[in-house]
Amino acid sequence: MKNGKFITLGIETSCDESAASIVADGRELLSNVISSQIDIHTQFGGVVPEIASRKHLENINMVIDKAIKDANCTVDDIDLIGVTYGPGLVGALLIGVAAAKAMAYACDIPLVGVNHMHGHVAANYLEHPELEPPFMGLVVSGGHTNIIFVEEYNTCRKLGGTRDDAAGEAFDKVARVIGLGYPGGPKVDKAAREGDKAAIDFKRVYLEKGSYDFSFSGLKTQALNYLNTEKQAGREINVNDVAASFQEAVVEVIVDKAIAAALEYDQKRIVMAGGVASNSRLRELICERAAEHNIEVLRPSPILCTDNGAMIASAAYYAYKNGERSGFDLDAVPGLEF
Amino acid sequence: MKILALETTGKYGSAAVIDDGRVYCAESSGEMNHLKEIIKITGEALEAAGITKKELTHIAASVGPGSFTGIRIGVTVARTMAQMLDLPCVAVSSLESMAENVKTAAMESGCETVAAVINARRHQTYAGAWSIKDGKLINLLDDRQYMIEEFLEQLAGNRVYFVGDGIDAYEEIIQAETGLEAYVMAEGKLRYQTAEAVAKLAAEAASEGNVVGYEELMPDYMRLSEAEQRLKEGTLSDKIKKLNRRG
Ligand SMILES: Nc1ncnc2c1ncn2[C@@H]1O[C@H](COP(=O)(O)OP(=O)(O)OP(=O)(O)O)[C@@H](O)[C@H]1O
Ligand SMILES: [Mg+2]
Repeated sequence: MKNGKFITLGIETSCDESAASIVADGRELLSNVISSQIDIHTQFGGVVPEIASRKHLENINMVIDKAIKDANCTVDDIDLIGVTYGPGLVGALLIGVAAAKAMAYACDIPLVGVNHMHGHVAANYLEHPELEPPFMGLVVSGGHTNIIFVEEYNTCRKLGGTRDDAAGEAFDKVARVIGLGYPGGPKVDKAAREGDKAAIDFKRVYLEKGSYDFSFSGLKTQALNYLNTEKQAGREINVNDVAASFQEAVVEVIVDKAIAAALEYDQKRIVMAGGVASNSRLRELICERAAEHNIEVLRPSPILCTDNGAMIASAAYYAYKNGERSGFDLDAVPGLEF
Repeated sequence: MKILALETTGKYGSAAVIDDGRVYCAESSGEMNHLKEIIKITGEALEAAGITKKELTHIAASVGPGSFTGIRIGVTVARTMAQMLDLPCVAVSSLESMAENVKTAAMESGCETVAAVINARRHQTYAGAWSIKDGKLINLLDDRQYMIEEFLEQLAGNRVYFVGDGIDAYEEIIQAETGLEAYVMAEGKLRYQTAEAVAKLAAEAASEGNVVGYEELMPDYMRLSEAEQRLKEGTLSDKIKKLNRRG
């Protein structure tokens, strides 16, 4: 406890960010340290699991130390340790889990394993102090595209998910195909601002009527086919137009389904999370469409959209309040479901 | 000196506490259960030694070579415990500790050389060899990556006691090697890594002042990741899709 507040340390190593953060009373951000490996992985064109695991090991202790110091706390102030135990890359996850367990054991601090996706949703509790469940959640990240009905803290009903590629994954793949490189999402977003979103007719895949599932894998093939055709015809390719048209196809489907879900479940709020929630066109279109139905759209600031320890701390706090505890036998679960 | 030693580089995980030369060891129940059981066996080793974690003076870990994942579990737990308990660390080689563990058995079976061999697949190994002189191990072949055939060739003329999971993989190749004067293979639990030997070597190292801060306790993988290897060789592009997660 510090100044009468419950102090949680959140640890996150599910992919290529080693992150730790101190959060007071589950809502108030006291520190947020993120050591990104993006520069290292860029030369390989994507995250290399073995390298990510090696870097996490080298970084994690320093990151934890800095998170505690930046918050002007000491280890003795910490009431709870929350750690991501899945989903993610197994070798990456286990660094965070091993460090969290060793710390919990060495310092006699309670431990809670956190579902990374619940963490993404919880990022909103840090940003919006008044936000409480229930609400409609839209998680769009590098590995996930989910519409979830958040009934209570850390209780989510999955209404739909991707059947193949996640939204962020589609951005990354198409970015590679059109030569924008890695990480693709922000680069496509930027290029799209200079492009014509009606230039190419990318297919909108809605699947069965009423389904909240997604399918984005066809977009990469379509982009490849388009590039080939243009090349064979000797036409110059406008990368900005491809980016804008592709992005519009992804964003439209996501927005339509999220609005439909909010209406069906009679929810007046859509809460976004995950790296793709930073996409400027997605924000623009979802706000526009939501306003027509008097639905409010919430999302975290970009720094809390991508992976961070703060969202894990917040989710851990609410799990702990709900009586959840993890034992020292906590294991990494790479394929953990929502 | 009261040292906690962790060994998770092979298929059986273990933790040991060495207190004034006496070693108390706890083993993981199954194979490859390192992450799940490491804290439990750490607690068991401390309990067997009758001390609390606050009484520890050093944290030691077997830093490899061995399973990359296994190495990371032990080293991460050791680093974090040392960080939180404010203790120095000791790095121990998995190969050397295996050799140390079978030293007596080797002498008893008439071998003057110990070879520790870890399987790195496709005829590759992480290995090292020592001569036993006056009950001490003297380095004979450096710890590094060897092809099993190359390693055996360099041991020609020796009476060799083999230890390590390299035996499981290359038993037939070792048996077929005609250059060796004689050979014996470690059997049962003696064949694999154990924290007991790590603790003993750590106590020696610590008494000689060979300790590091927790930030400097580093894995010894003995090998670059495949992606880095390919980047170095210039063969990355054809493999890139298989290596990264979202190809
Ligand atoms: N402005 C943007 N527009 C579109 N996509 C973006 C934008 N910014 C980031 N992204 C995408 O977001 C993804 C990263 O988000 P995040 O860090 O939440 O995913 P992750 O943690 O890798 O995946 P998960 O949480 O599902 O395991 C990447 O695929 C990236 O391209
Ligand atoms: Mg994420």
